[in-house]
Amino acid sequence: MKKTIVGLLLVLNIGAFASCADKNGCQDETVVEQVYTQSVPVAQNQCHVNETMNVCEQEELFVQDCPIVKTCDNYLARNSEVKVSVFGQGVAPCDGTCSPAQAYALAKRAAIADGYRLIAEKIKGVYVEGDDVVKNMMIKRSTVRTWVSATIRNANIVETTFKDGLCEVEMELTLSHAQFYR
Amino acid sequence: MRSRDGTYFISCTVLSIIFFLLSTTFLQASDYLISYRYVVKDSILYNETLAISKSMLGCFGQPNQLLILESDGSSNLKKIISKNSIEFIDFIQTLGMQVENREITINARNKSTTILTLKTTCFKVDFNDKIARISSLK
Repeated sequence: MKKTIVGLLLVLNIGAFASCADKNGCQDETVVEQVYTQSVPVAQNQCHVNETMNVCEQEELFVQDCPIVKTCDNYLARNSEVKVSVFGQGVAPCDGTCSPAQAYALAKRAAIADGYRLIAEKIKGVYVEGDDVVKNMMIKRSTVRTWVSATIRNANIVETTFKDGLCEVEMELTLSHAQFYR
Repeated sequence: MRSRDGTYFISCTVLSIIFFLLSTTFLQASDYLISYRYVVKDSILYNETLAISKSMLGCFGQPNQLLILESDGSSNLKKIISKNSIEFIDFIQTLGMQVENREITINARNKSTTILTLKTTCFKVDFNDKIARISSLK
């Protein structure tokens, strides 16, 4: 009798293990194993740039020691380019006293200067300084000074429009990683 | 009857004169220093200066970018540039302009001044038949 009970228990145990292997009951163990097998190759490849990786991923590996730079959107990646496009505006100095051609030429020059300023502002930034003078709880004078200083090379004029004395110039600058860090 | 050495000396001088004349008339290459600056105030062109001067010392460097202008046989660079000023200024702007912009807003009234400058740069100019080849040295 005892032998039959022990035999029955053994059969039940074997059946339970067999059901564990292919059903939901043992999922936790298999998940742990999967996590382990996934994490090992990542840890091994962290210091090696894989050829299948895109530029952003390679850059992330390159700057992995830098805690500030985390995503590819925050900086100009290696072997990539950024296009800076601006619209500069300029006005002819003469009110009907100069010929239309002269007005166009002068307004275009002013618009180009404005375009260069906008490109410099985008690439290098603007210094801003502000002063407010308050007297008897009232603002007497409010002053904001801004200035920009940069050297721009290889900016292209894409399109020029001249209408009602206003000249608009679309300018474009292609900036590569190598040029920016030179 | 002249000696052989005397004839050699004369032929050398004649050859050197011919070479000098050839180099000065048909192929003139010289270095020029050019600077350009213009000021825009409140979106209106205020002042423009283009300074051209022949270099007293030879410039060093490799020709970088090339511009070809019609010269009509003249070797006066100032005249050639004044005739083709738009092309030349467009060419200059690709070389690299220094941008300086200052704006001041007092009680919501804005004044702005933008200065674009090409720092004094050496250009090599070749005057051929009716063409002037201008290339910046880098």
